[in-house]
Amino acid sequence: MKNISMIDIEKIRADFPILQKKIRGHDLIYLDSGATSQKPESVLRAMDNYYRTTNANIHRGVYELSVKSTQMVDEARGKVAEFIGAKPEEIIFTRNASEGMNLVMYSWGKEHISGADAVLVSKLEHHSNLVPWQELCRETGAELRIIDVDGEGKLIMTGGDEKVFEENNLKVRLGSFEKLVNQKVKLFAVTGASNVLGTMPDLKSMIGKIKKLSPGVAVLIDGAQMIPHMRIDVRKLGADWFAFSGHKMLGPSGIGVLWGKKEVLSKMKPFMFGGDMIGEVKLTGATWADLPSRFEAGTPDIAGIIGLGAAVDYLSELGMDNVRQYEKELIQYGLEKMKILEKEGLVTLYGPKDDEERGGALSFNVNGVHAHDAAQVLDSFGIAVRSGQHCAAPLVTSFGVIAMVRATFYIYNTKAEIDYLVSKIREVPKVFI
Amino acid sequence: MDYREEIIDHYKNPRNFGEMEGADLSLTEANASCGDVIKIFLKIEGEKIEKMMWQGVGCAISTAAASMLSEKVVGMDRDEIVGLGLGGVTAMLGGEINAGRMKCATLAYNGLIKLLSTNE
Repeated sequence: MKNISMIDIEKIRADFPILQKKIRGHDLIYLDSGATSQKPESVLRAMDNYYRTTNANIHRGVYELSVKSTQMVDEARGKVAEFIGAKPEEIIFTRNASEGMNLVMYSWGKEHISGADAVLVSKLEHHSNLVPWQELCRETGAELRIIDVDGEGKLIMTGGDEKVFEENNLKVRLGSFEKLVNQKVKLFAVTGASNVLGTMPDLKSMIGKIKKLSPGVAVLIDGAQMIPHMRIDVRKLGADWFAFSGHKMLGPSGIGVLWGKKEVLSKMKPFMFGGDMIGEVKLTGATWADLPSRFEAGTPDIAGIIGLGAAVDYLSELGMDNVRQYEKELIQYGLEKMKILEKEGLVTLYGPKDDEERGGALSFNVNGVHAHDAAQVLDSFGIAVRSGQHCAAPLVTSFGVIAMVRATFYIYNTKAEIDYLVSKIREVPKVFI
Repeated sequence: MDYREEIIDHYKNPRNFGEMEGADLSLTEANASCGDVIKIFLKIEGEKIEKMMWQGVGCAISTAAASMLSEKVVGMDRDEIVGLGLGGVTAMLGGEINAGRMKCATLAYNGLIKLLSTNE
């Protein structure tokens, strides 16, 4: 084995109870971590312990359990902050990445985007970082600019023609990055890694360029597919916001994070009102609490926050550079094997051919077989893959197909599982012949 | 769930597939989760379906379901088709459809119900 990372795969696998599960007599081969990751024992235990031994509402009581619960939430916030190089007050707990993006749209977008402006996104976006901007642009009359992708699913950076069209009261301009960027662009909302193709746009270079060409532009990164897989330092990214979900990074579902620069967040108005987000309340109005409470109305998912803290501990112990290195080896191996199937005419692969430019998503179709049918046959062998449009319909259909099969990898997957997947992909067409 | 021989047969040789000239009713139904789209054409005689034809791209389940349905509904009226229900569609396909594929299995059926309801 060449320079195999610091990852002890057997030890890791033993930490994930669900991996012991059999699916109709087969070992579970879980290749859908892009949709949601599995959870290690330590995360499950942290949440269970919390409910068994500490459960009480936070910021509400002077009694021991409430104080302890509050401390545990603060601790978890601190861990998440340290994990991404942020200050604790810049960590807003949300339900998921989608809610983070919506928070930016409601709190910042509605104040700052008007009819003369443009919002820039890419064709790689998940629906959660596309639809909010479509709606905002439709409402305000702003133009939605979309960076197109090439045949490999990489963003087109220069040249090409622009396509301008208007539909359902939405003005759209589709083209290359450099053609679309000018002073009208007030917001750049972009994914850090495509959930379909694994494409990882060169954020640093794009953000650098856009800040020169449109000074004052705000930048929102959809980090949902990034943060589980690599070291993130939000300050170095040069963005204003970074949104992600807990459940894709070994944490529970129902908890997510919006990081925002303190300077930016402190000028934003809350978009949800209620308990815990207020300063002083009178019968006629209220003042807003400081960060981060201002954006966290109501009782949060306390156990979820604690679970996310445990997930961060788990990943930190492995080391995100080790995680990235191990997954790179997996995706490289998977790509190699899938390219053999492609040469044989068995499958069509989508996404960048170069593994340096992609995260751990492998999308493909078994030639002549609908994605759902392929996934169903693979399921009969215990393999869990996703099929469909992956919440990115415009991207998937731009490859001339209606659906794709997607295998996504994480730290508990192995090369042996990839071999098994490849051998069972060979079985798929036989069912339909 | 296995892909029964009958499903594979209807998938490979879909019945009543194609556009219908002079249809009394037609409608396009889509499955947003996977992109499958189906267009249904009906010839109506009195209250009853005289002929159903359909066109579309889809998976084996949605294709077989549309094909089987196009044979089954001949001579039936709206109430009889509503009476089939999801259970009837599942039974038609052999009785075992996993919940994740119900949208595939019922694409044509839901389209048909919608089409007949717009006719009231």
